[in-house]
Amino acid sequence: MAPKQATRQAITLKGSTALVTEFFKYAVNTILFQREVYPSDDFHMVKKYGQVVLVTQDLALENYLEKILQQVQKWILTGSVTQLVLAILAKDTRTTLERWVFDIKLVEPPADSKEVTGKAEAEIQSEIRAILKQIVSMVTFLPVMQEDKVFNILAYTSDSADVPAGEWEDTDPLAIEASKSQQVKMRSFSTDVHRIEAMVAYRYEE
Amino acid sequence: MQTPKTPSRRRVRSEAKTPLTPSLLTTFNAVSIDSPIKRATSTSIPLSDAFQRQASGGVIRKGGVESRLDVVTLDYVPPPKSVEVKRSRSTPVINLAERDRFITSRDHTLDVAATLDQMSLNAPSGSPTHTARLAAAAGVPLNRRILGYHLQPPSASSDTTLALQREFARPLYANRPGAVATSTGATTNKTRKIPTQPERVLDAPGMVDDFYLNLLSWSSLNCVAVALESSTYIWKADTGAVVQMGEAPAGTYVSSVNFSNDGAFLGIGLGTGEVELWDVERGVKLRTMAGHQAQVAVLSWWQHLLSSGCGDGSVWHHDVRVPRHKVMQMLGHNGEVCGLQWRKDGELIASGGNDNVVNIWDGRVGDTPIAGDAVPTGNAKWTKRNHTAAVKALAWSPWQPNLLASGGGTNDATINVWNSTTGARLHTHTTPSQITSLHFAPHRKELLSTHGYPTNAIGVWSYPGLERVAEIRDAHDSRVLFSAVSPAGDMVVTGAGDESLKFWKIWDIPAADKKSKASGRGEGVTRSGVLSIR
Repeated sequence: MAPKQATRQAITLKGSTALVTEFFKYAVNTILFQREVYPSDDFHMVKKYGQVVLVTQDLALENYLEKILQQVQKWILTGSVTQLVLAILAKDTRTTLERWVFDIKLVEPPADSKEVTGKAEAEIQSEIRAILKQIVSMVTFLPVMQEDKVFNILAYTSDSADVPAGEWEDTDPLAIEASKSQQVKMRSFSTDVHRIEAMVAYRYEE
Repeated sequence: MQTPKTPSRRRVRSEAKTPLTPSLLTTFNAVSIDSPIKRATSTSIPLSDAFQRQASGGVIRKGGVESRLDVVTLDYVPPPKSVEVKRSRSTPVINLAERDRFITSRDHTLDVAATLDQMSLNAPSGSPTHTARLAAAAGVPLNRRILGYHLQPPSASSDTTLALQREFARPLYANRPGAVATSTGATTNKTRKIPTQPERVLDAPGMVDDFYLNLLSWSSLNCVAVALESSTYIWKADTGAVVQMGEAPAGTYVSSVNFSNDGAFLGIGLGTGEVELWDVERGVKLRTMAGHQAQVAVLSWWQHLLSSGCGDGSVWHHDVRVPRHKVMQMLGHNGEVCGLQWRKDGELIASGGNDNVVNIWDGRVGDTPIAGDAVPTGNAKWTKRNHTAAVKALAWSPWQPNLLASGGGTNDATINVWNSTTGARLHTHTTPSQITSLHFAPHRKELLSTHGYPTNAIGVWSYPGLERVAEIRDAHDSRVLFSAVSPAGDMVVTGAGDESLKFWKIWDIPAADKKSKASGRGEGVTRSGVLSIR
């Protein structure tokens, strides 16, 4: 019984990791589209999670995200990443305008380890859908960013994480000064293994 | 004090890049390390009682897997009395399940504020080595690394600023107002297809590019009259023959032409104000009716009455049968009259002028002449001031007598449809560009309009919906100024400042009419090429 359950756990972790990584891909694409970091002509519509999601067609950007997400997936698998941040910066001044934060938590299996209560895929998808919709709706109140924008993806990892040499570097957190920022917590979703909580902080000066 | 397990090189780098609040230096009294990837070094700090007290006093604690940086902030809250705080490190705090830091006095509605503080960690001051030393001394694991991919994200494939410029410049190019992208520049809806190429093109050298003139007329005998500067030409559609009607007196030009209802006579208005009457069949001038003091920009016939609109804003009725031709004058415009149209039954006549006014007059002319030179003066039945530009385009509906359509110039570009009985405005439709002429389709509930800059289009609109049935963009190289409908009601001829006449097949003749007309039309007309009218 025990080994069987262990195998099942392993598979779930892997599946959950893939799910979370995939969610990041669509969330990042949605943000890049909605916040007009890239021109809207570069995006095309894709059916995903039972809704239409806009995904970039720009090959360079696609590859860039792909490389990042591959590494993120490895980190999630080993549990060494706690947070992913998509920061949107002004191109000229390099000031951070928005920070889209995704906390990644490991869900501890309940202490009284009974049969793992599998969460239905449909349920997870509807949670993901809710987050993506929320990202879209954020546009209504987030300040309009007039300037040219670039983005940056930060991964908050543990010190022990394997870092591919030369590819990932320690960086500035690209934080926004407390006095000049506001933030909104968004929905979360969870798989059996992971729990993703989303939040956006944006520069807001009166 | 503690030697971190990580290689020191990496440690220093990490610390140097992680800004900490200055508050760290002052209130560095309470830190808990509860990360899932807990490191042995951190737990090995001996916890003295004093430290414990300090920790409980400092209040701001950090707990939970989620904390981003184990740093305290400035908030100070008096030490809580509850005992829970004391058992902090070993036993999990109740609030641990939640993602927020544990602050006893925290109002849970302020969750957002807490995360906000976490976000703002880049202090401008604070020497990195000092914070590093301090952190090491307190055993704070700076075991969070913030990693970024070594490459910058690719720049957008198309420059957004350039795209913006292109957006701004777009109105100058293809995407003109209301345009639909087609290669031919023509749009037709699904139910109707109209040829987007003219059936025939005639060269018309010297055609005056003047909005206010009316230089094109198509008679019921299937002749097209066109005025080119001082000369008037008749193009017989049946034979393709071109006849020069005559030359205007030296020093002036033809400003308007119009065929009488039976097609036997041609009225020619001149720049000096004379109105000439010509016999089309014989090609001779019958008489000259003088009197107007300014250019006669428009003429309209009803039986024996030839009405002329003048540059001084007056409209005169000339009875061509009597020597004293001026039988009535109608004064209702302050600007040049450039649109004039009799209703078919002769009950009403509509005029439009450069003063943006549309007048509808009673067409009846009194029989009793007034002594002397005086003539009766008509009164406008309706005066409409809705247009905001010169009204040249006027059209009476052939199938519903009380409908009058009028179209305004550049600033207006609006088609208004009036009920001449009640004076009500029935429909309004704004088009992208200047309206130079209007015609109701003889056999269909449709309205045809010709337009100037920027579309230079011929538009066909459904009535009463005024939905676009078809549109031929760039029908001419310059603004389409004049148009006339063929007597059969299928062809439309347009003239423009690009010195050409183009014949368009817009409508079909109803089946009953087709037979009789098919033989009459189309023969004797050269199939291809540009025919010079001169």
